[in-house]
Amino acid sequence: MEQPKAYIESGILELYVLGQLKGQEINEVEAMAFKYPEVLQEIRAIEIALERYALSEAIQPRAGLDNEIISVLDTPAQHSDTSGQDLPTIQRTANAKIRNLVYALAACIALLLVATIALISANSRLTEAKQQISALNLQNRKFVATVGFMKQTNSDLEKIAAMVDDPNWAIVKLAGTKAQPSSKMMVYWNKKNKNVILDKSKMVLPVNDTGHQYQLWALVNGKPVDLGVFDMKSDSTSILLQMKEIRLAQAFAVTLEKRGGSPSPTMDQMVVMGGVTI
Amino acid sequence: MATTKRITLTEEDLIKALKNQETIAIQALYDMYSGALFGVISRIIQHTEVAEDTLQETFIKIWNSAEHYDSSKGRLFTWMINVARNLSIDKLRSKDFRNANKNQDIENNVDFIDAEKKISFNSDVVGLRDMVNALKPEFFDVLDLVYFKGYTHVEAAESLDIPLGTVKTRIRMAVMELRKQFN
Repeated sequence: MEQPKAYIESGILELYVLGQLKGQEINEVEAMAFKYPEVLQEIRAIEIALERYALSEAIQPRAGLDNEIISVLDTPAQHSDTSGQDLPTIQRTANAKIRNLVYALAACIALLLVATIALISANSRLTEAKQQISALNLQNRKFVATVGFMKQTNSDLEKIAAMVDDPNWAIVKLAGTKAQPSSKMMVYWNKKNKNVILDKSKMVLPVNDTGHQYQLWALVNGKPVDLGVFDMKSDSTSILLQMKEIRLAQAFAVTLEKRGGSPSPTMDQMVVMGGVTI
Repeated sequence: MATTKRITLTEEDLIKALKNQETIAIQALYDMYSGALFGVISRIIQHTEVAEDTLQETFIKIWNSAEHYDSSKGRLFTWMINVARNLSIDKLRSKDFRNANKNQDIENNVDFIDAEKKISFNSDVVGLRDMVNALKPEFFDVLDLVYFKGYTHVEAAESLDIPLGTVKTRIRMAVMELRKQFN
């Protein structure tokens, strides 16, 4: 119908390659290509030029899409299915989405497990730490008590040391009586300011029960004067024990009396006694 | 995760493998042409996920229609590009897509896509794009509308307000220019 050269130059082959022609025109082009090798050659050249143009304008799809698409194609169902692709495509996309969701769910569960384990581990460590803290607290309280005790002891010991140097202080040793030969104790008496102090560290007496207490007496011109009661305890915090004041005394004695003390000493319950040396 | 080794086959081997439904064929097709196909699809469909779905549908269609492909009527890659373009146009005009993307304008898509996406250059044709841009719009406006933006040549003529004969001439001039650059 037309000379190949004019046909080529009409631009219809470009439209053919671009998929712009309808049935009748397509048949026409294909007939011309079959008849004239230069038309076929021209078509191939146009195709190659446009293919290279497409490659030059390529946009790479995101990484990982290749595996998704290839895995969809590489399923047995895909091979047998060559008719209508719309429904299966949607189904496959849905399947791929479900698969993704399953992976996501599995990942979530794994993450949850890891988080739970981490939480349990952290919790047990926290418990451990709490126990350590309470143990340290207890220890700390013991130390504070010990330090308090030691401070008290230290100040008492300093006081005793000062008494020895002070000539106003008389140190009276009380020895055990016949009833309690192994008992003994020490009384510090300040003749000037009338203070009477017991030294518990030097006190050796039987421990008294709750119904009784020891009572200190001063013998003033043959008469006993009450100087207060005290307990013999093994766990007392202070060494020195302040008693009632006395201006004048020739001797000191201790009797075991009912709790709170008696107005006059029970002589057969006397445990220690000692005279004041001048 | 890019494939560590990109597969390339000759067109003849590729067509044979494709017709025999060998997996390697689709792997090779993807490695060789996914970028070019996605370039065509993305310029027509702005929505990335829909464009990716369309790329998948394109490969499925290529896979399923392989037995109907006739190499005497056209080159494989050209056929694939036409499949991708036609599916993209169908998708763009489909009811679902229109509902999801109201007021979407084809021309705006293209500008948006080209601005947003990095165009990856084939090392063989680096510099071509500069050449192409230098020549635009005189030769390539019509070709680009038809080849990349999914216009029919009739629509392109209407859009540019030029006669159909001029559309044909300009497309031919553009293709001639491409051929000159590649030879």
